[in-house]
Amino acid sequence: MTDASIARDRPLSREAAPLRLLRRFADSRELTLFILVAVLSLVMAAVYPQNFPTLANARAVLLNLAPVGILVCGMMLLMIGGTFDLSVGSTLALAGVWAGVVVGWWGWPAWAGVGVGLLVGGLAGLVNGLIVTRLGINALIATLGTMAIFRGLTYVTAGTGVTPISDPFKAVGQTVILGLQSPFWALVAVAGAMAWLVARTRFFRQYYFIGGNSRAAQLSGIRVERLTLLAFVVIGVLAGLAGVLGAARLNSAVVNAGVGLELKVITATVLGGASLKGGEGTILGGLLGVVFIALVENAMIINAVGVFWQPLVVGLVLLIAVSLDRFKTQGRR
Amino acid sequence: MAPRLLVQGLSKSFPGVRALDDVTIEVARGEIHALLGENGAGKSTLGKIVGGVYRADAGTVALDGRPLGALDEREAGRLGIGIVHQEGSLVGQLSVAENVFAGRQPTRALGRIDRRAMNDRASALIARLGVALDPRARVDGLSSAEAQVVEIAKCLSQDLKVLILDEPTAALTLNESERLFDIVRALARDGVSVIYVSHRLAEIFALCHRVSVLKDGRHVGTRDVSAVTPADLIRMMVGREVLLARQAASGTPGAVALEARGIESLPQVRDMSLTVREGEIVCLAGLIGAGRSEFCEALFGLRRRTGGEARLFGRPFAPAAPIEAIRAGLGMVPEDRKHAGLFLDSSVRDNVTVALRRAAGGGLLHRPAEDAAVARRFIEALGIATPSDAQAVGNLSGGNQQKVLLAKWLALDPRLLIVDEPTRGVDVGARAEIYRLLRDLAARGVALLVVSSDLPEVLTLADRVVVMADGRLAGEMPGEGATEEAILQLATRHTAVATLGEAA
Repeated sequence: MTDASIARDRPLSREAAPLRLLRRFADSRELTLFILVAVLSLVMAAVYPQNFPTLANARAVLLNLAPVGILVCGMMLLMIGGTFDLSVGSTLALAGVWAGVVVGWWGWPAWAGVGVGLLVGGLAGLVNGLIVTRLGINALIATLGTMAIFRGLTYVTAGTGVTPISDPFKAVGQTVILGLQSPFWALVAVAGAMAWLVARTRFFRQYYFIGGNSRAAQLSGIRVERLTLLAFVVIGVLAGLAGVLGAARLNSAVVNAGVGLELKVITATVLGGASLKGGEGTILGGLLGVVFIALVENAMIINAVGVFWQPLVVGLVLLIAVSLDRFKTQGRR
Repeated sequence: MAPRLLVQGLSKSFPGVRALDDVTIEVARGEIHALLGENGAGKSTLGKIVGGVYRADAGTVALDGRPLGALDEREAGRLGIGIVHQEGSLVGQLSVAENVFAGRQPTRALGRIDRRAMNDRASALIARLGVALDPRARVDGLSSAEAQVVEIAKCLSQDLKVLILDEPTAALTLNESERLFDIVRALARDGVSVIYVSHRLAEIFALCHRVSVLKDGRHVGTRDVSAVTPADLIRMMVGREVLLARQAASGTPGAVALEARGIESLPQVRDMSLTVREGEIVCLAGLIGAGRSEFCEALFGLRRRTGGEARLFGRPFAPAAPIEAIRAGLGMVPEDRKHAGLFLDSSVRDNVTVALRRAAGGGLLHRPAEDAAVARRFIEALGIATPSDAQAVGNLSGGNQQKVLLAKWLALDPRLLIVDEPTRGVDVGARAEIYRLLRDLAARGVALLVVSSDLPEVLTLADRVVVMADGRLAGEMPGEGATEEAILQLATRHTAVATLGEAA
């Protein structure tokens, strides 16, 4: 930090009113994203009244963002604690394929397939967590390795995939409640639970301390390794859930499910206010990040701008958001 | 003739902080000019503006009468202004020579680095500092003193006119500091002007010609060192008289709180024993590297013990993790405030309550209002200067940060508190307050084990002094009547090199 004391009785550095407003705006990522989402929705609704503000469109958008949203909840927890997981896409595929194998090939009941999927996801997370905490291997390298390993296991297990799985299993991913499909409701449940846990419970707030300063956290009595391990298991289970839902929705376990998903998830998480060094971010922010990216993509499809432009725009949005952060902390050190 | 360096009307603000306020200072050719002030007085900020790290909000810096425009570090270096940071600026994986010429390595055709020329020239620069160092050695294998020599050589590699040293002795032992002083004196004789940022009075009297005192970003005054006394400077720094008199022990110590026998935690701790009683302050003295911090970490469950046994309040005590030690009534204020102690980006409130919430349990939910109440109680009790309990700790001064760290452990009501370097980087005023606080704790029956490398501090605080050398118990003595010489004699007993400069 700077060599500087607190000046209680002196004015802060003066700056122009618009600059101050911008700073306030940049200060809360949730607020920024919320306003962006609202503005984008209103503009789209005004320009494309036939296509955008329809139930069918909302349903499609929400169904598509569900798996990313579920994973963002886990990724946010990891990133608050100062680490991350690149293997989520592979874990998702592995869990989906195992659920497909036990139900579609071995004839197990649908609920057992769900259980196996969650279990496989949890085990994958456990493996990641153990490599990072026990072997002390950096999370980037550890999960880069397991990303390939889990994908490989997926291929080895199911070759080209399992199609079809079974009708009861299909219901897990295709049941419609209040006009929306089950993956969306799973996201609502996961996000609600995670948001509450992370914002309100002392246990999960420990992750902010770990990400803020892991050595100080350890000295404060926080079991850093154990909690980091737990966060990897949590995201593993969530990847398992997303994998099961994806397989059930298509009634088909696809071995290439979730390829490239990890970067999409990390993009949304960072957009939602997480930082690579940890200690920052909220579940709500991460979810708003997911919604915003989904809206941008949806807008481009309706605009008929073309799928090719999507990554370009998402990348730009990410960089602009992070630049806002730089602006926020500018001059502090 | 224009002065070598003229700083005029310099002001600089950070959000929420006025770091420098209209400061004017003049440094002559070949002068060693001390910048003195409490933590947060703005001395490092001034150094960093001159060195091109920060940009001033107002005011000018002139070198040899020529006003300098907006500077960056590279430009400042080219003009002959070198800065040795508190934090260091070396790349551990690279060689000494590459660090000396960072980014400006001598090259041959096509930009290939001319290693031989680079190593030869680095050798010559280091030799000029009177030190022998292999220019091909990797920097991460060097001691902090050697690394500092490399930093200075890096400044010397350009035509050096002004050298800024920011708390250069913080990581050095006594004789290393002496050697550094010789280097600085020699540079000054060659005409280099030195700005010496420090809050250690003894060094200023040993080394500097003139001293400028800063307080809260303002320039209090500049004096010839030969014309002032330490008491004068302290008065200028804090604006009041500060008593660092020895605090008398408060009655006889109570029952044995901690009894450690033959603790071993290889490689640093080999065979260490001590006892601490309730209501007693035991100071653990020794040279840097004697294994004192490691011993404390082994007690606290942070470092694996390879041998020995400890009893806490009569019961066997071998915590596998800090939380077990905390639940048993132990607290530990670590030595490295910024890296091991505080969550700098978190609020005062969260910093004060983190360990409490972890150890005391008592509730599933995070209740900010409850935490704020606890924090405010300690803000008041300890006199922590902060605008609110929601302020980020990183924005507080060193002394106040240290108080936050103490508050975190006091909130847990520990029965035995280990404090590693209680006043490192803390200014004189806050130091006296922290001593009083520790003494009050002892008076309430808390057992205190204080690790300190600052001998005057040991003499001020200790009821008993335990000295450690080379991972072993070297001896102990009552605090009353202990002398720096006696402690140093024990501290150096086991070491091969028993040459020590005078005590700072």
